[in-house]
Amino acid sequence: MADKLCMVVSEGTFDKAYMPLIMGTTAAATGTEVHVFYTFFGTGLLKKVAKPKLPGMYRLFTGMFSKKMKKVGIPSHDEFMKQAMDMGVNFYACTTTMGLMGVKEEDLKPGVKILGAASFLKLAADANTTLFIG
Amino acid sequence: MQKDATLDARGLMCPMPIVQLAKKVKELKSGQVLELLADDVGAKEDVPAWCSRTGNQLAGTEEEGKLLKFYIKVK
Repeated sequence: MADKLCMVVSEGTFDKAYMPLIMGTTAAATGTEVHVFYTFFGTGLLKKVAKPKLPGMYRLFTGMFSKKMKKVGIPSHDEFMKQAMDMGVNFYACTTTMGLMGVKEEDLKPGVKILGAASFLKLAADANTTLFIG
Repeated sequence: MQKDATLDARGLMCPMPIVQLAKKVKELKSGQVLELLADDVGAKEDVPAWCSRTGNQLAGTEEEGKLLKFYIKVK
């Protein structure tokens, strides 16, 4: 059976947004099955257009940071997520926090699935690696 | 070393060389040799790790200053 990587993302800042994409695409490139579950402030990253900012005062430098990342071949958040999906990475929105954060089903990027905690735990139960990003 | 294709990943940083490598290898036939050019220090460990995880053979590596050359024989 293929390896399996599961991640939970609970924050929506720039750093927390990119980490699961970097880990996820790398794992997918190795033939690993990848599942990323977004909850609380992470849920907003699954909206059709998501422009995460660096945390706290650093948010002012987000543009400069994005430019630097582009220079080394790392695409914008939304492009990167699309690329990850094309590589087979699965993205899930947590049902409960969608309500809390005011994210509607029609707001989600195409390809994002909606999942409850129990179903995610079932996916994670036999994962080789589980990471919490928050 | 003899090669069938080259992937120039110079200027790209982790994870992009690996992401592009995985894509490129899919386009090639079994037994073909891909030359990968990279200058990301991380690639030095990442490319051999990727090869051993995916079963593609790392047939050779070369270093010319900061430039890393990998020769990957497709599974």
